[in-house]
Amino acid sequence: MYVRQRTAIRRSTSHPAEGRRMQLVRHLVPALVAGLFWAVPLGGQEATGAVAGKVVDATTQQPLANVEVALAGTPHRELTRPDGSFVLNGVPAGPYRLRATRIGYGSQFQEIAVTAGGTTTAQVSLAPAAAILEPVVVTGYGTQRREAITGSVSTVNADAANVGVITNVDQMIQGRAAGVEITQNSGEPGAGAQILIRGGSSVSAKNEPLYVIDGVPINNVSTEPQASGSVGDPSLPRNPLNLLNPSDIASITLLKDASATAIYGSRASNGVVLIETKKGQVGGGGPSFEYDTYASTQSPARKLDLLSGTEYATFVRQQVTAGNIDPARLGGLGIVVRTGPNPGDTTRVISNTNWENELTRSSVSHSQNLAFTGGSEDTRYRASVNYAKQEGVTLSSGLERIQGRLTATHSDLNNRLRIGLNVTTSHINNTYLAYENQGGFEGGVFENMASFNPTLPVTVTDSTGTRYYELPNQTSSRNPVALANQLINIGQTTRTLANGNAEFDVAPGLTAKLTVGLDKANGVRQEYYPNSNPLGQQLGGGLARQATLDNTTQTLQTVLNYQRQFGSGNSVDFVGGYEYSKFQDDTIIGQGKGFFTDAFSFNNLGGAVTPLTNSYAEEWRLVSFFTRTNVGLKDRFFVTGVLRYDGSSTFAPGNKWALFPALSGSWHLSQEEFMRGTPFSDLRLRLGWGLQGNPGVGPYTSLITLAANTGATYPFGDQPHGGVLANSNGNKDLKWEQTSQVDGAVDFGLFNNRLSGSVEYYHKNTKDLLLEANVSQPALQPTQLQNIGRLTGHGLEATVDAVLVSHPGLVWRAGLVFAAERNKVVELNAPCTTDKVTGAQLCPSIDTGPISGPGQSNAPSERILPGYPLGTFFGPVFLGVDQTGRQVFFCTAASTNCANGRTTDGKGPAAADYQVIGNANPDFTLGFHSQVNWKRFDLSVLIRAAVGQDVFNNTALIYSTKNQARQGKNFLRPALTDPTGILETAVYSSRWVEGASFVRLQNITIGYDLDVPWLTRSARSARLYASADNLVLITGYSGLDPEVFSGTGLAVRGIDYLTYPRPRTITGGLKLVF
Amino acid sequence: MKPRLVTASIGAAGLLGLLLVPLEGCTDLDETPPSLITSSNFFRNEAEVLAGLAGVYAQLRSTAPEGTIYDANEVSSDEIVVPIRGSDWNDNGQWIDLHNQTWSPTSAATTNFFNGAWNNAYTGVARANLFLSAVQPATFANKASVVAEGRALRAFYYYILMDMFGGVPIVTTTDIAQRPRSTRHELFTFIESELIAARDSGLPATRSQSDNGRFTQGGADAILANMYVNAGVFTKEGAGSGGISASSYNSCSGVAVAAGPDACLAADSAATRLMNSPYYRLADSFPQSFRADNSSSPENIFVVKFIAADGLGLDVIMSGLHYNQFSPTPWNGFATLAQTYNSFDAADKRRQVVLIGPQSNVLTGVPVTDRSGAPLVFTDSITNILSATEGEGPRIYKWPADAAHIGPNNGNDYAWFRLGEMYLIKAEVENELGHTATALQLLNALRNRPGAAVAAPLAAVDRSVILNERLFELLGEGKRRQDLIRFGGYTARTDSASALRNGKGCIAGPTPQSPCTGWTHSTADYRVLFPIPQSQIDANAQLKQNPGY
Repeated sequence: MYVRQRTAIRRSTSHPAEGRRMQLVRHLVPALVAGLFWAVPLGGQEATGAVAGKVVDATTQQPLANVEVALAGTPHRELTRPDGSFVLNGVPAGPYRLRATRIGYGSQFQEIAVTAGGTTTAQVSLAPAAAILEPVVVTGYGTQRREAITGSVSTVNADAANVGVITNVDQMIQGRAAGVEITQNSGEPGAGAQILIRGGSSVSAKNEPLYVIDGVPINNVSTEPQASGSVGDPSLPRNPLNLLNPSDIASITLLKDASATAIYGSRASNGVVLIETKKGQVGGGGPSFEYDTYASTQSPARKLDLLSGTEYATFVRQQVTAGNIDPARLGGLGIVVRTGPNPGDTTRVISNTNWENELTRSSVSHSQNLAFTGGSEDTRYRASVNYAKQEGVTLSSGLERIQGRLTATHSDLNNRLRIGLNVTTSHINNTYLAYENQGGFEGGVFENMASFNPTLPVTVTDSTGTRYYELPNQTSSRNPVALANQLINIGQTTRTLANGNAEFDVAPGLTAKLTVGLDKANGVRQEYYPNSNPLGQQLGGGLARQATLDNTTQTLQTVLNYQRQFGSGNSVDFVGGYEYSKFQDDTIIGQGKGFFTDAFSFNNLGGAVTPLTNSYAEEWRLVSFFTRTNVGLKDRFFVTGVLRYDGSSTFAPGNKWALFPALSGSWHLSQEEFMRGTPFSDLRLRLGWGLQGNPGVGPYTSLITLAANTGATYPFGDQPHGGVLANSNGNKDLKWEQTSQVDGAVDFGLFNNRLSGSVEYYHKNTKDLLLEANVSQPALQPTQLQNIGRLTGHGLEATVDAVLVSHPGLVWRAGLVFAAERNKVVELNAPCTTDKVTGAQLCPSIDTGPISGPGQSNAPSERILPGYPLGTFFGPVFLGVDQTGRQVFFCTAASTNCANGRTTDGKGPAAADYQVIGNANPDFTLGFHSQVNWKRFDLSVLIRAAVGQDVFNNTALIYSTKNQARQGKNFLRPALTDPTGILETAVYSSRWVEGASFVRLQNITIGYDLDVPWLTRSARSARLYASADNLVLITGYSGLDPEVFSGTGLAVRGIDYLTYPRPRTITGGLKLVF
Repeated sequence: MKPRLVTASIGAAGLLGLLLVPLEGCTDLDETPPSLITSSNFFRNEAEVLAGLAGVYAQLRSTAPEGTIYDANEVSSDEIVVPIRGSDWNDNGQWIDLHNQTWSPTSAATTNFFNGAWNNAYTGVARANLFLSAVQPATFANKASVVAEGRALRAFYYYILMDMFGGVPIVTTTDIAQRPRSTRHELFTFIESELIAARDSGLPATRSQSDNGRFTQGGADAILANMYVNAGVFTKEGAGSGGISASSYNSCSGVAVAAGPDACLAADSAATRLMNSPYYRLADSFPQSFRADNSSSPENIFVVKFIAADGLGLDVIMSGLHYNQFSPTPWNGFATLAQTYNSFDAADKRRQVVLIGPQSNVLTGVPVTDRSGAPLVFTDSITNILSATEGEGPRIYKWPADAAHIGPNNGNDYAWFRLGEMYLIKAEVENELGHTATALQLLNALRNRPGAAVAAPLAAVDRSVILNERLFELLGEGKRRQDLIRFGGYTARTDSASALRNGKGCIAGPTPQSPCTGWTHSTADYRVLFPIPQSQIDANAQLKQNPGY
């Protein structure tokens, strides 16, 4: 270890600036450690006592579990057991302020005195309150009292959010936190999601927040290898967070502004999601068991409106008569069936196949969850197992998860040493709909669903048996049901997340903590395109592929925490630490083409005529030093300063290290004398500033590297000769994307916090955007990753929670989250210039938002343009359809074939006439949640809305074109009555950019608490519930769903193309605690 | 005492961990890619050098069909049109923009084809520069020959840039920097000197079969011959007075080049060297130079090598064949124009490379249907290139499918230069030098191939005969734009007096009753050079746009 250290130091000093910084760091660490030594002797023995008691609900007088009972200003804290009881042991004698907090209740304080060797009793009753201002909050590298927090932090009540069919934590956050916009990629089980906290901060780097599970940051990359790109685009990856069982989640905290997230430095510019899992508890009556289960049924919420077989046949006949369709097309209607023994005994049978109905189904899902928890005062455990199976609403798609979790804590040395262990391991079996969409002009499953001739049958039966009907001698139009059923695409991931930690109270108020984390995921992707399907034949006689991806992340954290109270209400809370993470991934791909039988599937690649194997590996490291100091004065003023110093191996030497500072403060107005007597039970002002980073670059990006691959191979003679090519220009100046953010907020509570909330405004500025920029040629690659350009964003967020009714037997809580976000590209790779001749403003821009579908190669729908937000639609302006059925577009006089501002030749306008034609960003988003408890009944509702955004209906662009029929393809019914001529081709324009405001009843749940004492004993519960997801959608948008997956391209937003349909789900469930 | 001891030891252990672990981690952020190579530790022996050289060669694939360079040269001429068929092939209007020569520095044809061509050719230059600078300090056998190969390849990539864009920055080092354009004449001189140096100081006269496809002296001579015959165009900076004539022949006669005061004479001698070379002769049959086994053709001089393997094959047939004529599914796009097809003598065997009439699967010979199930027939004309049907337009099928194809990858080599063109170049310059009899004899020698005559002998020769003969011989081989510019017909492709029909501006076919075959093209003279893509000017502020754009 010592030798490595010396070698490395020598290397680092070759970069003077970095060397100096490293020296600083090397001095800092021993200083911290010296502080520890000094602290150790102070930890002497003191006489201790205990505090015991019970917490009940003030309205129902029922015991309350999971209430945090803490002695303010000390590390002594405890959660109440299911019977509401708690015991705090080993408390040094003296006076204390006991605080009881629980989400959904107002905090209660009691002054108590602990005597040496005695047990002090405390009875607490909590009144319901609005959700937001309550508990002790998990922040970066520790917890903080809510009132001391000076940054923007939202919490989500995990229990309230875990309703309906929830497969991952993203779904729990949706609609429940202001300024957090979550869009599921599709209606697929366990689908991935796009998450934007405060609109994101980057153009090309990641816009996804950092996830931290039990204090350990997660490398949230796909855990399964991507599917083969042999045909079309690979299916979208599922959510890597599917590994966590939502029932194991205790709390979710979102850090949004720079002052809150800066402690996570380089990875924090898109916000941080902190997830804490449930820990072990001991109860009065021994271990407690929890069993919950649900079963649900799902069906597609909406369907495309395609022509039926009869309608299609009628249309084709009409158009043949009108001379618009080749009469030969009549031969493509239906199939010819033999009716008798003679060759002439045939008849034409026209089917009425609804391919959409054939591909979708009502599916069934269920989940079984068993957890038990128990232990002694010193050693506690919680173990849980989960089995969940979800069928997708289209054929051949689903998710199956087996997951186990074990957590144990142990305390020793009079609770001065606390050791914890969390292990989660899950095995997920994802069945993908292979060749989902984006299949180029040939079309994948959904493209063929929309265009495959509806007069053809799904299957035919003859003397050889029943088989899928495929067009004879055709390879480019394919039976979508056969594609869905015959192609195999499976992803299996086994992932283990383990962390161990040891926490030691070195001295009063001083705690040292060591955490070691391991995240190991092994994903396998298995695919087979059989000979029995024309596609498989075409790929070279059957194509089989297996790919494995190993992801390993190792994390080590050492944290020192010092908390002290001085005088009345003065406090200091210091956190300092070090974190080291190493990320590795290895991929192995084996593929074979040409199988004489389909029997092997993907299990015998050696049986292929042409096998192919490949492998690659990557590694990168992140090293960080961080401190956070929070100072409180008179319980009124709080100031927090954060410094984080991050080093990443992925940047060029000299640019590997960066400092991320933040400063914030709050003024607890309601503590002031002059606020006495006002209805404000709580009022705080907060102001913060900070700098965050976005690493956003893969390993080795700064280097010129040579890759040995097919692209570099060249035949010398007639044999391939392996070669190398430079796959990057490198960039020795590459550094972090940096976002600075200012945040101002008011937090308020009224009427003893019956009504509470906050209003926040933020402004952020990202500079040194990581963009692939064209470089001056000659260059090894056309583009180079550079730090160029700026992006700004600002927004307003408001959260209001209220207890509207609070009577014994009836409690009604409701909450509203509101967010309005605006972003703007300020500058790309060069400043705008003014054209000397025309006076026009010329700005470098980036075309993005590739249009999908046949005939749309190289056609962009969006432009990243200075002065406009990301997600700006750019294209021709549609004016209408002329008498001959041609589309007419706006044009300027300078264009050819332009008269009176209207195009005249049917060719569409010139590129110079393109304009901004839409904005994919909503004006504002809303989330409303409400929960009513009446006697034994409870009813909860979650409604989400987004207003003002545009969506490009790419599906309608392609499939609302009657011209489809000239190629023997079906189209959407609205096109029948559309005046657009049959000869018109699909041209992107403002016509296809639609308003997509919506209101969605995301979830409604009704529950009933059963009284089954013979089963659950006293004070334990049984709950029966029914839940519906996505029951109502109100929108003017004409497509399937206004919430769309927006592709993986550069900052693409708001494009709708034939996604997997979103289901409507009805769930029934039972939860038992005994 | 015991707890105190435990406390102390745990404390000590924890402190030791805190002390050591950070230092160990923080000091090492260096990167060593496990599955990639950094150039600093590469090119140390001949095997590694050849791997680097293969990478420089590999970029040649981007110059062959199904690449932006080929598309730009062919589709902007009268050899290929890509009509919109139903909802297919609109592609942001790029094909129509390209064919109709309506491009601007930012239009669809430019952002895809010209920008792609610029990047593809310059990537070849950059790979050659990196390779040449990296092998500089290395010592290995055959170094002179390998260095000459690198220089010749770089010269070829510059030749493509010169042909398409005119003068461009000449760069021989590996740094990325903004640099001004050279003149086209300077670039011509640079390429010429590089090719001569490579030919005379390292390139072998021939290669063994196991190395066929690698550069030879003949390859350098072939490019030189082509440059010399085009010297009347390539040494001029643009159209207009004193520059390139867009409407009349641009002769090489009297244009001074490094090889002599008259480029025509230089072209003559370069072509003659190849025709007299023991290593090249006309193939016995016309198709032999295009088939999957064409690496054995004695006629091919400088080729892009293809083999039937994933990512290494020629897939030119995909763009033109109908969906049902081959597996995997071709794309049914590229067609030739009726007027081009009809300009062939019906007896000319070289016309057989065009598919027309009832169609079958190109490998099995089984008749095929269109998507509706009716027999597939390719028509000679296209009624409306904005709304064509599946079967409209004849298809160029010069490089026939390889029976051993892997997916779309066929093993046919693509010849940039073959001996047939040398006959044509020599005939053209002899004609310019006034030796019409020699010119006629050369053309007829090409028509009367030693193994099988392809067409009846010609009786007389003039420039238009030579242009036509080049069309018949080289159809689809990426030469048409260059030829039309040299002969003065590229930007004025109006083919008939009765051009306007149905108000759509389509061109009448061979008879007034024939359906339209395309669109009128009478565009500005400056289009003899493609525009420099605006995105390239944005990236290099020193680039000046070509005149006219």
